[in-house]
Amino acid sequence: MIETVHLRKEFGTKVAVHDLNLTVPLGRVTGLLGLNGAGKTTTIKILATLLRQTSGTVSVGGLDPVRQPRAVRRRINLIAGGERMVYARMTGRENLWYFGQLYDVPGRVLRPRVAELLDLVGLAEAADTRVERYSRGMAQRLSIARGLVNDPDYLLLDEPTLGLDAPIARDLRRVVAALAERGKGVLLTSHYLAEVEQLCAHVYVIGDGRHLAEGTPAELVAQSGCHRTVRVAVVELTPRVEAAARAFAPAVRIAPGGVVELSGPGDVAGALTSTIIEAGGALKGLEIAEPTLEDAILALNDRPAAVIA
Amino acid sequence: MVVAWATLRRSWLVTRRAYPWSYFIGTLLLGVFTMGVAYLGLRAIAGDQVSAEFAGRAGTADYLGYIAVGATAYMFVVHGILWIGKALIQEQREGTMGALVVAPARRLPYLLGFAAFAFTAVALEVAVLLGFALLLGVRPTATGAVDAVLAVAALALAVFGMSVVLSNVMIVAGEAHITQNTVFQAMAVLSGFTFPRDYLPEALRWLGELIPITAAMDVIRGVFTAGTGLDPARLGVAALIGFGYAAAGLLTMPWAERRAMERSF
Amino acid sequence: MRHAARIFRAEALKQHRRVFGSKLVVFSMLIWPLLTLAQSYYTLRPLAATPGIAERWPLAADPERLLAFLATGALGFTFFFSLVQSAWHFTFERQTGTLELLFLSPANRLVVVVANGFGALVQNVWLFACFAVAGFTLFDVARVAHLGMYAVVFLALLVPAVAWGALLNSLLIFSRDAAFLYTLLDDPMWFAAGVRLPTFALPGWLRAAGSVLPLTGSLVVVRGALLDGRGVGELAGELAALAVLSAVLLLTAVAALRLGEARARRTGQLGLF
Repeated sequence: MIETVHLRKEFGTKVAVHDLNLTVPLGRVTGLLGLNGAGKTTTIKILATLLRQTSGTVSVGGLDPVRQPRAVRRRINLIAGGERMVYARMTGRENLWYFGQLYDVPGRVLRPRVAELLDLVGLAEAADTRVERYSRGMAQRLSIARGLVNDPDYLLLDEPTLGLDAPIARDLRRVVAALAERGKGVLLTSHYLAEVEQLCAHVYVIGDGRHLAEGTPAELVAQSGCHRTVRVAVVELTPRVEAAARAFAPAVRIAPGGVVELSGPGDVAGALTSTIIEAGGALKGLEIAEPTLEDAILALNDRPAAVIA
Repeated sequence: MVVAWATLRRSWLVTRRAYPWSYFIGTLLLGVFTMGVAYLGLRAIAGDQVSAEFAGRAGTADYLGYIAVGATAYMFVVHGILWIGKALIQEQREGTMGALVVAPARRLPYLLGFAAFAFTAVALEVAVLLGFALLLGVRPTATGAVDAVLAVAALALAVFGMSVVLSNVMIVAGEAHITQNTVFQAMAVLSGFTFPRDYLPEALRWLGELIPITAAMDVIRGVFTAGTGLDPARLGVAALIGFGYAAAGLLTMPWAERRAMERSF
Repeated sequence: MRHAARIFRAEALKQHRRVFGSKLVVFSMLIWPLLTLAQSYYTLRPLAATPGIAERWPLAADPERLLAFLATGALGFTFFFSLVQSAWHFTFERQTGTLELLFLSPANRLVVVVANGFGALVQNVWLFACFAVAGFTLFDVARVAHLGMYAVVFLALLVPAVAWGALLNSLLIFSRDAAFLYTLLDDPMWFAAGVRLPTFALPGWLRAAGSVLPLTGSLVVVRGALLDGRGVGELAGELAALAVLSAVLLLTAVAALRLGEARARRTGQLGLF
């Protein structure tokens, strides 16, 4: 597994990563979340040997990226979304062949693997077309295949679906889940929190380079203190209904159009609707929204680190 | 006139902020080293003499002076074309060409404004190279102030005509590097900058006549090198071809712009 | 070694696709060097055709041999300048993000920069080199001690050029001022290395400055072997100096890569990562 202990990275006077302890085991997808500038990309680049930590230790499958960078590089790969990062003048197949040479993948292994990867990212038909004729999404899919060309034990994914069309992003998520099932260790950062919720067994939340929280997505939601929200839409918001709702709980919000909204712990939907009906209100709709990971991340980021610790 | 002035002013403002030093250093170094080779060669190889064949064809036995005038004129031409000829492709690359095409301003004042700026800048740069020539002991002379002004004007017109045509070629091809360097290298051989054109095989001499710079260089040579004064016939040819190039370039420019815009969208 | 050979093949393909991406490449590969050669020949002719030239510079007394002298200069310059150009293109990999991918891979960095230079060199110079060889044969100007000297000439161009390319690549991928270096290595290089003048015509300070350029040493060997019929024994000193200079260039490249990568990993700046 990948393990960091007291990881710290400074750029001049700016501290990008503070004392981060992180574990990425084989066989599952681990999430790394935080707002922009939280230190996610810096952390990933340290694990990828592209940056060197200021202090703390990193171990990748028992190897030290500082002392054994080449051995580490053979076992990992990095896929960053949003950028092309492939050679425009070469075809898709040639690009994969080129990177296969850099990773010293034996020819008899490389040939079928390239074909398989092109198939996997849906570029089999465009394999022998130059990348300069690819659409943005095609080039990005190729760069995903490029990240798998050395069959890495650990895959670092930095916003891999950024800018991808929805069906392609869905396919990529399937691939990532399958890789973890096959025993790979995957570290994923993404802006699409639904993606993280769907894929990640364990999630780290960082803010300003500090560890804020960790756990399964459900645990994070629970830790964040976010509650489900009940929205009751009434046909006509009479003063009596409004007074009854406010009396039910002071935290009730009355939204325009006659929607009574209440967030809180426990199951309040039944009691709230009963109260409104008893006050003579007629129900038009009822919605119960579970708190999402997004709510949790925003809530965690708003809290000072000391409170969470 | 307003457009020309606005373009001149804008170019000065932009250039003051981000002067393309590599252009200037690149062309200056070429001029300096061309003269340097001539100077060292004259001392060490030729024993301060020059072949009679050269003296006969160039109309002077002052080899270093000949090279100095040629290298200076070459810098003037190359740098002028780099400024004016690349103005439009620069707009295209920076994404401002769309705004320019949409604006109702006519192209001629825009290009003239740019040329006025370019020649002012080039004059300053050429002065630096001439300073180096003076250090080597070259003493430039001209057959008269009017001759000198007319000769330089003929060369400037040739540069302008070439630039307008090249500008179209560049935006249509979406490429500047190969075009500009091929034209510069071809001119260096065909137009009589560092050796008399009589050295060339006849076919190449005629090929040189297709470039407006060639006739203008003959005028420059008469005034600044051979001391034979302004050659009215060559001046006429230079003006004719120079105006011809400028007119052809301006007339095809709307077509070239359309092609360029179609390609970029 | 096997991995190194694979990186050479990979870089060769990459350079081939880059260089031959456009058919216009024939201009920079053949037409430009030929035009430059024509210009320098005609410019020097008034100096060569002077009385007493046979004592001052015997070679120049024969116009064909003067042309051959300048052609060797143009050939050498094409070799070394093509590496300046390929290093310049290498810097664009920083903008497209592929440079980061090279550094992400376990490939040996020195092998990558050497392979990159070698690939560019072979693709860029073969046309002009063939043309030059054909010209030499046609005009029958070569005076060679024995056939083996052709191999010496080839190696004396290739090895220092590849070392030079490796150094330029190593320096430029970590440098933001690539444009300036490019300008600096164009005209000053041909001037100081004796591309268009014999070294005896250059003043001492210029010869000293030129001696750090491997092109200078390469040209001495190439001209000695091809035009003056000198053998390996006579050129031993020049060949040894060239070998030492090539080794120094390669070692400097290794140091530049180590320092550059360590700095990039520490600061995350330099635009690399």
